[in-house]
Amino acid sequence: MQKTFQVPHTPIKQFSLDNGLRIVLNEDHSVPVVSVAVYYDVGSRNEREGRTGFAHLFEHMMFQGSENVPKAAHFQYISNAGGTMNGTTSSERTNYFETLPASQLPLALWLESDRMRSLAVTQENLDNQREAVKEEKRLRYDNQPYVNGFLRLFEMSFKNPANSHSTIGSMEDLDAATVEDIQEFFRIYYAPNNAVLAIAGDIDETEALSLIEKYFATIPRQPEPPPVDVAEPPGVAVKQDAYLDKLAPVPAFALGWKIPERRSPEFYSLSLASHLLFEGESARLYQKLVKGEESVVQIQGGIDERRGPSGLFIVVIPKPDREGTRIRDTIFAEIRRLATVGPSEEEMEKLRNNLFIASVRSRQSSLYRAQQLAEFALYDNEPELFNTDLQTYLDVTAAQIRDSVAQYLETDDRVLLDIVPAPSELAPAAPQGPGEPKQPTSPLPQIPAPPDEAPAGSPIPTASRPAIESN
Amino acid sequence: MIFLPTSPINEMMQTETFRREMPPPLGPRPLNLPESFETTLANGLTLVLIEDKRLPLINFRLAFRSGDANDPADLPGLSDMMSHLLTEGTATRTSLQIAEEIERLGATLSVGSSSDFTTIAASGLSVYANEILELVADVTLHATFPQNEVDLARENTQQMLIQQRAQPTFLASERMARVMFGAHPYSRISPTSEMLDALTRDNLLSFRDAVFLPNNAVMMVVGHFEHDSITAGVEQLFSGWQPAEISKPAFASPPDLKSRIAYVIDRPGSAQSNIVIANHGITRTSPDYFPLLLMHTILGANASSRLFMNLREEKGYTYGAYSNLDARRLTGTFRATAEVRTAVTGASLREFFYELQRIRDEAVSNEEITNAKSYLTGVFPIRIETQDGLIDQLVSIKMFDLPDDFLKTYRDQINAVTTEDIQRVAQTYVQPDRAALVIVGDAAEITDQVKPYSETIEFYDTDGKQKAAGSMQ
Repeated sequence: MQKTFQVPHTPIKQFSLDNGLRIVLNEDHSVPVVSVAVYYDVGSRNEREGRTGFAHLFEHMMFQGSENVPKAAHFQYISNAGGTMNGTTSSERTNYFETLPASQLPLALWLESDRMRSLAVTQENLDNQREAVKEEKRLRYDNQPYVNGFLRLFEMSFKNPANSHSTIGSMEDLDAATVEDIQEFFRIYYAPNNAVLAIAGDIDETEALSLIEKYFATIPRQPEPPPVDVAEPPGVAVKQDAYLDKLAPVPAFALGWKIPERRSPEFYSLSLASHLLFEGESARLYQKLVKGEESVVQIQGGIDERRGPSGLFIVVIPKPDREGTRIRDTIFAEIRRLATVGPSEEEMEKLRNNLFIASVRSRQSSLYRAQQLAEFALYDNEPELFNTDLQTYLDVTAAQIRDSVAQYLETDDRVLLDIVPAPSELAPAAPQGPGEPKQPTSPLPQIPAPPDEAPAGSPIPTASRPAIESN
Repeated sequence: MIFLPTSPINEMMQTETFRREMPPPLGPRPLNLPESFETTLANGLTLVLIEDKRLPLINFRLAFRSGDANDPADLPGLSDMMSHLLTEGTATRTSLQIAEEIERLGATLSVGSSSDFTTIAASGLSVYANEILELVADVTLHATFPQNEVDLARENTQQMLIQQRAQPTFLASERMARVMFGAHPYSRISPTSEMLDALTRDNLLSFRDAVFLPNNAVMMVVGHFEHDSITAGVEQLFSGWQPAEISKPAFASPPDLKSRIAYVIDRPGSAQSNIVIANHGITRTSPDYFPLLLMHTILGANASSRLFMNLREEKGYTYGAYSNLDARRLTGTFRATAEVRTAVTGASLREFFYELQRIRDEAVSNEEITNAKSYLTGVFPIRIETQDGLIDQLVSIKMFDLPDDFLKTYRDQINAVTTEDIQRVAQTYVQPDRAALVIVGDAAEITDQVKPYSETIEFYDTDGKQKAAGSMQ
């Protein structure tokens, strides 16, 4: 059933300015729309202990005005021009992006360059945005079942503090942030030589380049930021723990593994393996657990893709009265089968077609193209990977998938976290978790934070849904 | 890699004068709306085709003009369950075979129901168009609802009902729908445990047979295909499908709101209060749609609207405050919403009611209306940039019976709205004195904060059951 297929080539040009700003352009006239993405090489991986959440807090500060753009006017300028915008923070980078009618390219460049060169870091802006970030934390983490529990997975998986804490940070560290801290952060990380500017859509290359030069060329280069150390000693930090969750209505558990960094041969193999294990209703674990055994209500998995040690995890909500240990035995047996027999020919065909469709679909949206180009330029200095990375995935063999699963997943060096509904007024007589729920060995953990966005869930990139209108 | 010539750098931090002002736009670039082709098969199935050959992709939507509103009163959620189970077995394929076939093509196949319509959606590489279309036809025409799959879906949905009660947004939506829609079917937003217990395979089959009729459906195809070939494929697969009379249920009217009443859903320990302030709104085809859309844009549609600028940017009470224009086929609501930290629940209500009163009392400024028009006309091409975006617009047009030239005239309709139109619809639909005020939060912490904003407060628990008012004091 496999048909031959050629993914259309996306034209990409790369440039750089003398101040170190890297530029990527993709000219495409199909819709009169332009997307601009600015990626700064700073994320939670750059934060030290006691300063967690700074990269993300700073993302909010970037919408608070600069020399020629009044406070909060960024939203207004973009909306009033008929555009959408947002910014996000992950372990790896902080990004800012907008999609506008193509004629508004100068507006986007004016706004992005003004905040890169002259952000207004004031006490008032800091206080206000600290409150907005705290509300974001309450909304997306503290007031949701399971979410704070799952954050514990990062702490359990990684030993290096640069890896184990994540983006939202702790309330205490956010409270401790001073204007001087934030100004210093800006000077070090928000420099043209630490950033990539990618533009995709209905542009004229010559015109775009001359505008870019006008707005960005005079922004001064800064000394290189301090190096990041994300090296991990072997082994997970904590193999087993339990988290009492006052908001969780039923028990859940999560499994986590440490895997090699993005774009390593093993990462490609394990990405494809994870697709076979838990993506879609034909996935092995869905068919075993939700269908076959009917022991599980929901199973989800994902990959946290990083430039350093990365993560693969599975989250399970069992049916009532089902034993977590039995469910995990089935999961481990399926991993063992993949690690010994490897994927079938039908599964390899499924992977190929899913890689093709993801690659084609991702070309539709100018915003997605701009974001992917910026990411490949920032991490790899090679935006052409947008076209060529597909072949690397297609070249992975069944034997390579089998061997990577054997090496990295078929192991006791993994994390198990039980999330146990805590007794509270909300959940009278909370049911005990399945299997072996233990009380946490320490007081409830300080809030470890997840990546701002969900970790890259699918090994096979799917077209992103542009996040609109919230920061 | 090319290095750009760099202009001589003057004194670094001295602002170049061009930075002082927002730059003017470049010349406009044309938007070419794709042409659609429409035909109707002998059995009444409408077929709409839009060719888009930019990329080798194809998207299908088979949409039926029946949705959750058509659920029998004693089986709320039947459309949901029927939609979910459609891909769980046909006369010739098991659930596993359907999942494997579709995913082996790299394609997607999903079924979903909303209040007013039910959609079978499929997409994939255009080289597999025939295979995908055949699977769409199979689940549409030959789903069998195997008993073991019905039982499994029943069990898992029972668990989902428990899960959703942990979500404050669900609790707010549930109460809001009950208050606003009363005996009207829009009041039900989820299956119930009793419905799941009572659900049989026969219910599913007879409901499917009643609503899945070719004369109740529109097949939409957007993507890289040959017109004749796709038309022949649809005719071959669907022309044997027999039409029948479509039953038109009579719906109760939503209740009038006569005064402002607060509904507090007590969620002890809640880190935030979820606030929803709701009034009755309009149908999707109302002549007031575009004026209200402009008003909504100015008041709360995005991060530069009044509510966001006030409650988040100025006050820091919330991560985001918005309004919501929910216009459906039969009726609708207009709402203002935010999740705020518990301690500022009352202060947030003060700002909400200030903004709701202000949009009624004062004409919006010329600058605001110009900006709102620019926003709505500007984001329009972004929405139809992808095949999914375009076909979703098409689904709305067909399912809400919007005019065929809706996309072509959309920007003109926006630009025709006046300041007077906006104030008129604000005074008609924004009625703070008759609003339903739904708040999910810690009642012990927020009751005194809510009292100044509502003489009457009803209390509910997270199971949706009303509590005695005295028990909260």
